[in-house]
Amino acid sequence: MDDRAPRNTFPTLIAAAALVLLFAGTATAAPARSGLELASAAAQAWSADAQLVYVENDEALEAGGGCERWSYLFYSTSQDRARVWSVRGGKIAVAENLDMRFDAPPVAAGWLDSGTALAAAERGGGAEFRATHRAAQLETMLLMRGAFSEGDPDATTWTFVYRAAGEPSLFVVVSATDGKVQRTWRG
Amino acid sequence: MRMRHAAPVLLLLLAPAFAPRPAAAAKNAGNLPPTTVTTVEVERERPVREKLPTLRFLRANRDFIRARFDRLRETSRVSRAGAGNVDPRFLEYRRLLTEIAAGKDSVTVNSDARERQSVFTSVEDLAALERELDMMEQLLNQQRTRLGYLQADFAGRQRTELDLVITGGALAGQVDSVRVTLEDGTSVASSLTETQRGSIQHGGALEVFRGLVEPRPQVIEIALMGEGWSGTGHGFVTIEPVRDRLTFLKLDLSQASPKLGIGSLAASTWLLETGTDVTRAPSQAAGTPQAEADRDRP
Repeated sequence: MDDRAPRNTFPTLIAAAALVLLFAGTATAAPARSGLELASAAAQAWSADAQLVYVENDEALEAGGGCERWSYLFYSTSQDRARVWSVRGGKIAVAENLDMRFDAPPVAAGWLDSGTALAAAERGGGAEFRATHRAAQLETMLLMRGAFSEGDPDATTWTFVYRAAGEPSLFVVVSATDGKVQRTWRG
Repeated sequence: MRMRHAAPVLLLLLAPAFAPRPAAAAKNAGNLPPTTVTTVEVERERPVREKLPTLRFLRANRDFIRARFDRLRETSRVSRAGAGNVDPRFLEYRRLLTEIAAGKDSVTVNSDARERQSVFTSVEDLAALERELDMMEQLLNQQRTRLGYLQADFAGRQRTELDLVITGGALAGQVDSVRVTLEDGTSVASSLTETQRGSIQHGGALEVFRGLVEPRPQVIEIALMGEGWSGTGHGFVTIEPVRDRLTFLKLDLSQASPKLGIGSLAASTWLLETGTDVTRAPSQAAGTPQAEADRDRP
């Protein structure tokens, strides 16, 4: 057999094209901090005194704390308005003003990234909740200051919301500074 | 959006902008990568974009979260002052200021002495004067170095900006003003004087807007006002400013007429080339940011 004979590359090309089409437009899951710089640059263009007050996942979360799209909400004192930038795959997918008053305090700088915080939440009850309830899943994780922290209203925390059909949801609050579980409750 | 310039600025780039510039072209070809000028379409309808949900938990629980914040405000507590690392540049600025003050003191002392000494009576006095002049020259050199440091620190930081210019005279009608509206509602109107109209007809460009913009795909709304143009409706241009770069958007009216509609405007975008060495003199800095005028980039 002549090794130099031209091989039929058509099936390979078809397979490659199918893979490209399959993954075209899909963004990979990324930790919460991945889009922060871009969102901050946009926020500074919007208002010089814009400060980050809230972060939430906009798509399903993966086991390692990554998400395809994260929302970053900034508040401007001078404008008394909040504006959100949703970042997917290193690009801003949505930019819009929040249609509610949200003069929340800014989150502390140096907050723990989503992967580290999620690992703490899993250890603090999340993993057990998922194991004991059918189809239970982590639905939401959000970063903010004060609202969910009982002991220290100044603390910036990650709040995790685990949901299961027909069961009260599990809330786990993790300090975004040291990764300690602050509190859990069902509701 | 925050604008840097409130008033439109007329860029007087008349004949040179459209004339062949072999010297400039050769210089650019040697020093800078070729700039990509992208033609963009001026559409008659606002492009429809994918609507994605955001902040679902916050929106669903807005009353609960607001109530929590309200409760927090009612709770009195002792606040702690946060302490962070001081940016080393701020310490450097302080050192520079101290040096400037010291230099100023030296000059003042010498100046006072000079005033007291109205007549030079000997060669020794002239020698002393020469020493003082040398010292002043040295102080000026030090000041130049400090200014170079500050320029590199500040001028080197390009943020995401848009510079919108119009050029060309319309085939028909008369454009009296241009209104540009950004997605966040910022609206800027520029009126054209007779002189400005004449300038853009001959290759000049009028800066309609320059300011910070968000680094994302966005639609710019454009409306021309004036004889024949007021009824043509608004045009929409989709651009995607690159983060920490200056994006130019040029609207060329030279092939536009009210009969053809707002879509007859030609639009193009390009980025300002960025260099690194901003401390060198403009004539020496090969990579200094520049936007050399040519047919596509007024």
